[in-house]
Amino acid sequence: MADVRKEVLEIVATVIEKTPDQIPPDAHLVQDIGADSMMALEILAALEKKFKIVIPEEKLKDLTTLNKIVELAESSLKKGKKS
Amino acid sequence: MNKPALNIEDIKKIIPQRFPFLMIDRVIEASPEKVVALKNVSVNEHFFQGHFPDEKVMPGVLITEAMAQTGIVLYRQKFDTNKTLFLVSVKARFYKSVCPGDQLSIEATPVKFLSKMGIFKAVATVGNDKVAEAEIAFGTQDAKAV
Repeated sequence: MADVRKEVLEIVATVIEKTPDQIPPDAHLVQDIGADSMMALEILAALEKKFKIVIPEEKLKDLTTLNKIVELAESSLKKGKKS
Repeated sequence: MNKPALNIEDIKKIIPQRFPFLMIDRVIEASPEKVVALKNVSVNEHFFQGHFPDEKVMPGVLITEAMAQTGIVLYRQKFDTNKTLFLVSVKARFYKSVCPGDQLSIEATPVKFLSKMGIFKAVATVGNDKVAEAEIAFGTQDAKAV
């Protein structure tokens, strides 16, 4: 699962235009890093494309830290890929 | 010719833009999965007066606007809201210039749509030639508060 973390970090860093080392795993992406909900949508769309998963709208509000996004990606991957 | 999916009066009920900023003339296909809109580019377009006086080329930003308006129609196939949608980000590439007499065909397909915001992909063609493509993100004004 280390790869998932690395790939998620890459996606998050690209979308919010920061370098990976500027994104601590538990930092709040909106309050601490300066992301907004539109960036969350872009992250969500990029995750779906990268991992071929479907993330429902109600999960958007949970994507607050890198760790939570990694958790979500990993649990979605476990549930199975979309056909 | 087959009856269009949406004529100009139908389009005006969906998108708020008006002259000189109504950038699609007709929608020939409309479903939540895909919308195809047409824009007939006439030499009388106001923007050709200045862009450019001696070489008439449709500005890329207005091709982008036509894509964005097609995207509104696409969004409204799924979500019934009258809220104004604002452009958030555009990743676009332009391949060929668009000139008087061209008919732009714009195909928009969703990447991810949520109730207050979304991302879609748009491809603009003239005949068989792709002239531009873009990935466009938009949201309602209150989307930032989500």
